[in-house]
Amino acid sequence: MTIIHFQFLSAILFSLGLYGVLARRSAVLILMSIELMLNAVNINLIGFVAFRGFGQEIQTFGQVLIIFVITIAAAELALAIAIILRIYRNKNSVNVDEMNILKG
Amino acid sequence: MDLFQINNLIWMLPLICVFAFLSIGLFSKFLPSEGAIISIFSIGFAFILFIFVLIDFISGDLAAIHSSFTWIDLGEWTISWGLLIDRISIVMIGLITFVAFLVQIYSVGYMKGDSRFGWYFAVHSLFASAMMLLVLSDNLLLLYFAWELVGLGSYLLIGFWYEKTSAAEAAKKAFVTTRIGDVGLLIGIIILFKATGTFHISSIIHAAQEGGISNEVIFWSSFLIFLGAMGKSAQFPLHVWLPDAMEGPTPVSALIHAATMVAAGIYLVGRMFPLFELGPGILVIISIVGIVTFILAGAIALVMTDIKRVLAYSTISHLGLMMLSLGSFGVPAAFFHLVLHGFSKALLFLGAGSVMHGMHDQTEVELMGGLRKKMPITSLTFLVGSLSLAGIVPLSGFFSKDEILISIWEYNSWFLPITLFGVFLSSLYMIRLYCLIFLSTARSEYAEKAHESPRTMTYPLIILSILALFSGLLAFPFPFTGWEGFAAFIDDHHKFHMIPWLTVVSILVAFSGAFLGWVIYGSRRIVINNISSPLKFLYRLVFRKFLFDEIYSWIANKIVFTFSRWITIFDRVIVNDTGIDGVGNSTKKSADILKYFQSGYLYNYSLVMVVGLFLMAIAWWLVE
Repeated sequence: MTIIHFQFLSAILFSLGLYGVLARRSAVLILMSIELMLNAVNINLIGFVAFRGFGQEIQTFGQVLIIFVITIAAAELALAIAIILRIYRNKNSVNVDEMNILKG
Repeated sequence: MDLFQINNLIWMLPLICVFAFLSIGLFSKFLPSEGAIISIFSIGFAFILFIFVLIDFISGDLAAIHSSFTWIDLGEWTISWGLLIDRISIVMIGLITFVAFLVQIYSVGYMKGDSRFGWYFAVHSLFASAMMLLVLSDNLLLLYFAWELVGLGSYLLIGFWYEKTSAAEAAKKAFVTTRIGDVGLLIGIIILFKATGTFHISSIIHAAQEGGISNEVIFWSSFLIFLGAMGKSAQFPLHVWLPDAMEGPTPVSALIHAATMVAAGIYLVGRMFPLFELGPGILVIISIVGIVTFILAGAIALVMTDIKRVLAYSTISHLGLMMLSLGSFGVPAAFFHLVLHGFSKALLFLGAGSVMHGMHDQTEVELMGGLRKKMPITSLTFLVGSLSLAGIVPLSGFFSKDEILISIWEYNSWFLPITLFGVFLSSLYMIRLYCLIFLSTARSEYAEKAHESPRTMTYPLIILSILALFSGLLAFPFPFTGWEGFAAFIDDHHKFHMIPWLTVVSILVAFSGAFLGWVIYGSRRIVINNISSPLKFLYRLVFRKFLFDEIYSWIANKIVFTFSRWITIFDRVIVNDTGIDGVGNSTKKSADILKYFQSGYLYNYSLVMVVGLFLMAIAWWLVE
């Protein structure tokens, strides 16, 4: 296990997420893809924290930071899901192409 | 700083009326009697304040009371706002507060039931406060500011019944005509500021007397300032707005003609007189403008058949007389005449308003006649006003006219015969007006049904007529009181004196005018057509007011509008089509092209973001 493995995994996950965001039409799937990208970043970060020879304190700090990010991402996800639910109630669909009423 | 010191207290004079204006203007619907009571109380308070200031001023040996604060401080020069009570301004303040107070009381009766009753009093307060600010201000900048406010007040009041086209037009005419003079005034003030670096009137005059300003600058600045005075004081050839100003409510005319607005021009020339004195030839110009106005307006007043227009032309004529007096070094005489004429003219206008009130707003004298029995108080007070203005001997108008004649004889004796002719005219038209309205028998059913006005209207008439009767005595020095006559009060160098033969001549001229008027229009021994038919051409010329309105409208239509049309093309093509519309159109066109980038699909936007990020990353990598 070296830092390369972490970076490789992170890059694959990020690309998958990016593909999902660009290619999917369903708001729920886009949201899941964004989560994928977020976690790819997290993996990247934890890899750097673990393998760059930092001291114990910095390593602990890095892990705590990741937990914070995950927590906040969860809260944000709840918000996003709530918005998508509202949209579904209104339009009976979560297809992002149909969400164009703000277009002039 | 003690608020109740007299020199701080004088700020209250204009401010109390501004307060009345704001409170009525904003909350008129919630106030008792729509706020009229506030307006009357505040102007009454200003009058009481005037009495206190007067007592203080006299007990302080006529030393000027001054109060100022710095408005703009730019190191090299500062601009301050200050109020000054001196001998001229105290007289003006007394006149303004007193006449405005009476006119407001009168208006309660006159304006009853008007849909904008409260607004009328609000503007009235604004007008009075602007005029007070004008006469109190110690520098030309504040004076100009107040000068324009007075113009605004007159615009609002003349056009008070703006539903009538004629009233709206008259208001516009007054504003535009006086504006021609105002531009001159502004340029004059700027020239003086450039020459001396200060707006302070006393400093400017001091600098001029020390020889710090060249004669040319004095000439042009005082000429331009005089142009402003000509506009406001309705001097020939800028007099055309005043007769049309009759479209406003009659009490407004009383105020404009007696205390505010037209007095401003006379006041300005009187205030700046030491400067005018130094300008070569300026006083001659003032005298000529004054005498031409005096005679022309007097002649027009003789043939007008509208009661208010006769009074309006009589005002113009007397303002001309005041200008003539100023041009003949008669500053005290001019101010004396301004005050006494103010009382008489306010009386006459309020009397005319009372007549109109009884006549269902008819102003044509041909429809009147025989009102003496039906409106006894109005008739008697109107007679007092007429005789006073005609210069009949014991009434006030006689004394001020006499003082003016003395100064004309002493400094401008060439003008004396023409002035005496004007005096003759003015007594003739005043008696004519009185006879046509009140004597003989009713000439229409309005006149038969006429009735006396309510008390709020007749009491001011009575008070003013008492003043018109006795205020002329102020010309004389009173023994044991220290009062050395009005002239000496204004200027120590003018001692009270009389020229007996001139007084006799003036009495004879005034009496002969009055007698002729009575013979023609009162007893009708001479039939007017016998006189006027040989002079038909002259009569028609005078009746059409020397064609001033026609000439001005020709100039406006043919010259100004043609010029404006060319300017309009420049504005249309260059400024509008290329400048303003050009900018707009180019934005619109570019937007037409760019709008295709806005697909509205989420994946398009995110793809652009990703590609952009990718390019930025490459760029960063290349740079590193």
